[in-house]
Amino acid sequence: MTLTTQPPVETPPAVRARRARRAASFSPSWWFAVPALLVYAGVVLYPSIVGVFYAFTDWSGIGEGKSFVGLANFRAILGDEQVMGSLGNTLLLTVAILVVQNGVGLLLALGVHAKLKSRTLLRVIFFSPVVVSPVMVAFLWKYVYTPDPSAGLNGLLGLDIDWLGDPSVALWSIAGMVVWQYAGYSMVIFLAGLEGVPKELHEAAMIDGAGTLQRFRYVTWPLLAPALTINLMLSTIGGLKLFDQVFAATNGGPGYATETLSTVLYKQAFVYGKFGYSTAIALVLALFVAAVSLVQIYYLRSREVAQ
Amino acid sequence: MRSRTFLLEIVMIAVAVAFLFPVYALVTLSLKSPDQISQTPLSLPNPPTTANFTEAWSAAALGPSLMNSTLITVASLIALIALGSFAAYFLARTATRLGYGLYILFLLGIVLPFQLGMIPLYELVSDLGLIGTHAGMIIFYTGVQMPFTIFLYTGFIRALPREYASAAQIDGASHLTAFTKVVFPLLRPITGTVLILNAVFIWNDFFTPLLYLGGSGFETIPVSVFAFVGQYVSDYGLVFAGLVLGALPIVVVFLVLQKYVIKGFSSGLKG
Amino acid sequence: MTDLRDARISRAQFFRMMGGLAVAAAATACSTNPQSGGTTATGASGAAAVDLKFVGVADQKAPMDALLAAYKQAKAGVSIAASYAPTDQVQTSLRTQLGAGNAPDLHVVYPGSGSAMSMTEIAKAGLLADLSAQAWTQTIPTGFKPAFQQDGKTFMYSAGSSVIGAIYNKKVFQEAGIDAPPTTWTEFLGVCEKLKKAGKVPIALGAQTPWVTQLINYALVPSTVYAKDPTFDDKQSAGQTSFAQSGWRDAMEMYLELQKRGYFNDKPNGTTFEQQTSMVATGKAAMAIQVSAVLPAFRDAATSPDDLSMFPLPGSDDAATVWIPAGVVVGLGASAKGKHAEEAKAFIDFLGKQENINTWAKAVAAIPLTQDASSTIDPAVESFLPFTKDRAVPFMDQRWPNAEVQPTHFAVVQELLSGKSTIDEALKKMDEAYAK
Repeated sequence: MTLTTQPPVETPPAVRARRARRAASFSPSWWFAVPALLVYAGVVLYPSIVGVFYAFTDWSGIGEGKSFVGLANFRAILGDEQVMGSLGNTLLLTVAILVVQNGVGLLLALGVHAKLKSRTLLRVIFFSPVVVSPVMVAFLWKYVYTPDPSAGLNGLLGLDIDWLGDPSVALWSIAGMVVWQYAGYSMVIFLAGLEGVPKELHEAAMIDGAGTLQRFRYVTWPLLAPALTINLMLSTIGGLKLFDQVFAATNGGPGYATETLSTVLYKQAFVYGKFGYSTAIALVLALFVAAVSLVQIYYLRSREVAQ
Repeated sequence: MRSRTFLLEIVMIAVAVAFLFPVYALVTLSLKSPDQISQTPLSLPNPPTTANFTEAWSAAALGPSLMNSTLITVASLIALIALGSFAAYFLARTATRLGYGLYILFLLGIVLPFQLGMIPLYELVSDLGLIGTHAGMIIFYTGVQMPFTIFLYTGFIRALPREYASAAQIDGASHLTAFTKVVFPLLRPITGTVLILNAVFIWNDFFTPLLYLGGSGFETIPVSVFAFVGQYVSDYGLVFAGLVLGALPIVVVFLVLQKYVIKGFSSGLKG
Repeated sequence: MTDLRDARISRAQFFRMMGGLAVAAAATACSTNPQSGGTTATGASGAAAVDLKFVGVADQKAPMDALLAAYKQAKAGVSIAASYAPTDQVQTSLRTQLGAGNAPDLHVVYPGSGSAMSMTEIAKAGLLADLSAQAWTQTIPTGFKPAFQQDGKTFMYSAGSSVIGAIYNKKVFQEAGIDAPPTTWTEFLGVCEKLKKAGKVPIALGAQTPWVTQLINYALVPSTVYAKDPTFDDKQSAGQTSFAQSGWRDAMEMYLELQKRGYFNDKPNGTTFEQQTSMVATGKAAMAIQVSAVLPAFRDAATSPDDLSMFPLPGSDDAATVWIPAGVVVGLGASAKGKHAEEAKAFIDFLGKQENINTWAKAVAAIPLTQDASSTIDPAVESFLPFTKDRAVPFMDQRWPNAEVQPTHFAVVQELLSGKSTIDEALKKMDEAYAK
């Protein structure tokens, strides 16, 4: 996902009135939006609304038997160690991905932004995992993370780590695999930001005697704010909803060490046969993602404006 | 200055080589016999064998999957671009409360986790007799990726001067003609972005096709690869040959169009 | 993408294509949906009048392939399209189909209760056809009835039972100077010690694959729990006893003792079932505690399949109180809501014939549900036969009340193996899951 837009720009009333008059004659009519709305309503809105209804029932997912249980599912979430544990894992994973992926992405962007002979090739290499299916990447990394000390990453680095089998390591191993796949994505967004930094500014700063680090801190960094906003948003939403990679690599194990909100709600629905409870968790996840995105947009936007 | 750039180049190439290690493992293992894999897991295949590839190609039935993936992706993209740009044109140009409300309604779709509506949607698709069909998947992707598509288009159109369309309409063109003849061609850059981002998402999506197409004979590539891997997990050479074959189409397309793809992913910033 | 700029000329074609696409899509929808159109007409005389759909797990492919071919010969006019997938995938897509009222005519069913795809769970939702009128259901051995029946009615077909014990490599045993399989726990530890000294991994354990984690407990619990109290399940269900108060604790201690003594391969939590299989098949490891249904997989991976055999894992120091687990193998049922429930039931009736029970059982190295002169029993499981009469208990999950206990068991075993948890905590979690 990439974010393109600005928030609806506040325009002076006079301009707005003029536009409204003009809009009345030249604006496209509402039926332009109808076909899209119909498909969207059928595929997303209607099923989600029905889904919300299930969140207040004890439906098992099959058969007719379901009764309304009020807020019981939501109360149960609060006391559910597995859900709370997975919430913790999800947050840790999101923060780890957020920090490392963007850190690595920024360094790569700075590296390939320089006038290197191999810059195009390097960009293509770092970006290429982004286009591959996360499930396939997870299968590949399952081998890279083999516990065999003579093969995979262990063999390469001369280590003897049980990457996916040791509960204190497994979550970070998954983060590593996600970072490997998506660091190139962060890189290209930062690159686009870097390309927007006018050369004159750097030259001026250099004449003023600023060193490399100072120029980065006072010239480049502030102008990277929009790119950073987008990158942080993308990795946050991606991290909170992470499913495919965990499902394919560890399925939440060992124990509950890599269980995320998405894998838990999947298991509740399909393994434990508690569909109502599962949709309650999905609803909480949705509210969570929405809240975090809003806070982030608000905070980062205000920071951009301030600069 | 010169030497510093040179040093940086060396460092970056070293980083790239390390970065490619999983790809090295993938390709070399797919060319090795089981004995070579267990005895010399990290070295180059000696001698390389293509046996894994011939076996994987026939066992995973990737030919039909490739067709399914292509058909579903292309048709969904056409529908998304047509319906999405259309709707976004209204949403970006209207100044009414209804328009703004609709826009917010669409954006809501970006944060909703798909699991929420999973079963009700399945019931609906099943009632329509669309389970295990291409049409079911195409409608699904058109709906699910609509919010994001509209989000991209609306942002772009808002930044576009109105005068083009107005001029056409003063000349007597209808809204529809003004849009298709004048506005849509101007949307080319963002259409490229919409196309690329949605294509990568749809092509690689896993869970929904697993649900809707699993066992139907109309599986997409990730679903076929998943089933294939499940069947032959112990034989890494074979599994990796399957992964290489499964990833190859999109990687080739990416390499050919890399400039546009990278631009698609990174653009919008200036939009 | 280079053609993006050409998009302009094709606007009209583009919309026409959209229209064409909708039509094409509708056509595909009709042709691929067996329920629509004219295929529903059933005729006693008719050729190829009914298409049935079967969805199964990968383990069922070998027996079903053979029996579907036989059914085609036996009954014209019914064709069955079968598809198989890994358990996770089937569980997901089948649950969704059942939830949406769109179940295939025939599908995989797990015996007893204790899983989301179990006979009890699906039958309670009213989604399985009653098979009680079929002749073969009258001969289900009493001990196995809870696996097949809910409220006295039979809802599932299965061809027999498998046992859990040690799959071992005879050659590796001989090379380490072991002549006969152990019959008591102390002897078993002695055997492991010998194997370890001989430089072999005594027991391969692929605990990254969740279902593998449970097998050692399943192999021990019959001796540590049920040999002492055959009515444990009923008492547990009545709330009179619990995992924590029972021989489950002993079984887990024995499990961890094996680990403490270094009898497992390194990093069991990072090792998969497939790696476990190949370790035993290639002689790197001497044995694996496994279910007999995977014998064919072990043999496939072995260079000399005849080296592989099985023996019961002795969970007690008194050979007379060693009990074994013998559970009904994964089966299938007919959808109660399908349009072709009668035809689907007829197929199950066919599977219930003795010769077909024999065929199925042979393909998965199972002990046939009922036996006649032509029944064969895999020589590898012969050492289990003396137990099956009165010293065998079904797999534990088949009597568990909900689908949460088994995955909890998987997770706590992984936690125990990684040293992140204690036996007390593990049993407490299992008791909590049981009470849900």
